[in-house]
Amino acid sequence: MLLICGTVPRLDLPLINGEAKLEGDNLLVGDIKIPCTLGTAALTSAACVTSQYLKKSPPQVVLVGDNGSGKGSKFLYDYLIENISRISPDVLVIHYILPVMGLMKKVCAAAAACSKKPVMIADASSMYAAKAARLALFFDIFTPDLCEMAFLADPDVIHPAYISHHLFHAEIAQVQELISAAYKQKSAAKILVIKGATDHVVRDGEIIFTISEPDIPALEAIGGTGDTISGMIGAFIDSGLTAHEAAIMAVKTNRKAGEYVKATPATKIREIVAAIPKTLNHN
Amino acid sequence: MVFGIKKHNSFEGDGLVLFHTVEEAIAAEKILKEYKYEVKLVAPPPKLRKGCDLAVEINIVEKAGVERLLQEKEASFLEILPLKGAEALLDIVKIKDFADACMVKAGNMKLTFDRNTGVILNISGGGCPDIPFLHISMLDKKLTEVSRPRENGYTLCALMLDRAFAEALEIFSRGGN
Repeated sequence: MLLICGTVPRLDLPLINGEAKLEGDNLLVGDIKIPCTLGTAALTSAACVTSQYLKKSPPQVVLVGDNGSGKGSKFLYDYLIENISRISPDVLVIHYILPVMGLMKKVCAAAAACSKKPVMIADASSMYAAKAARLALFFDIFTPDLCEMAFLADPDVIHPAYISHHLFHAEIAQVQELISAAYKQKSAAKILVIKGATDHVVRDGEIIFTISEPDIPALEAIGGTGDTISGMIGAFIDSGLTAHEAAIMAVKTNRKAGEYVKATPATKIREIVAAIPKTLNHN
Repeated sequence: MVFGIKKHNSFEGDGLVLFHTVEEAIAAEKILKEYKYEVKLVAPPPKLRKGCDLAVEINIVEKAGVERLLQEKEASFLEILPLKGAEALLDIVKIKDFADACMVKAGNMKLTFDRNTGVILNISGGGCPDIPFLHISMLDKKLTEVSRPRENGYTLCALMLDRAFAEALEIFSRGGN
């Protein structure tokens, strides 16, 4: 079972759980509609269409509204701490959540008590919390962009807003340097999927796959294109692919989806999500 | 991996609010607790000590919300700093040009706008829970017609988006170049 956990931009939404499906531009959990926009909604939407294409069960979700004040995030942490060992998912994706180191430690402790440790994927702020709390080694996959890679490589910072100037200026040519630094200080998960002009898939510090084509520069501007990669990875692993196979398939598919919709800087993430099944069909 | 269990207050902040006086620190702690922020009074480490010997430890990610609340309540404070790493927020930006659009990157946040109309086409990057909210509230609106992200956001991601927004507004006011 694939379980996706995160916050969504609906302040009135209490913590909900259940099966997610995508209908048009909306994510549906029971009769609750959530628009497919940047963040956990985009990640879940991508996982839904991928699972459906693969004829697998839809992802299960635990979602809560949070406007950044952290109230919803704390409900989510509490829910995971209390329930994750009982749910015992095969794949656990933790996504948009207020980074709180102490609570992330408790979530990981609870996940370690599952009958079988889930494949652990962290993207966005859950990755920030995992790195800051020195829990990176507990995770199987992180999905940073180049700036977030610099954050993983910077030994002391707890959020990308504080990375060193020289690391922020690091370009794709210096990615190996950033990878080595992140693994040396144990700030990287087993697999890194580094998103950028060239996507890199890294396993235990070694670059095992890169892709630069099709070259769609506009994808970087579109809010949610990193989220869709993480969602697809979760669904692919749940269907039986290994973590690195899933990562490679996801970065390939994301680029092709961008090409399919002729992405521009104004393209919305729901258009990319809608193109994923068509793209998979052509693989 | 072994996970330790702490019996007592397990709050681990990674930022400090510094004050001129002990009274200011105690007053700020009360306000922040009243608004459900997890905080505690601590002695600042010598390398960060400015003002008095008492500080409020916070989750530094919540800097934007903490700063705004203390200002709204007219609670005096000196500075908000992370406990480790660089003291100052990343202030530099990178610009990427598309045909009619311009993307401004500040840290982990990116804001893309139409050079001709000033309409915000997309916001990407980041990961804190206020970003999807800000994304919805700003998307497809003009740079000149939306609130600054720091006015509605709570987190460091919102402050990075605010930096990108300020730069985008500056570029647009110069005619998009």
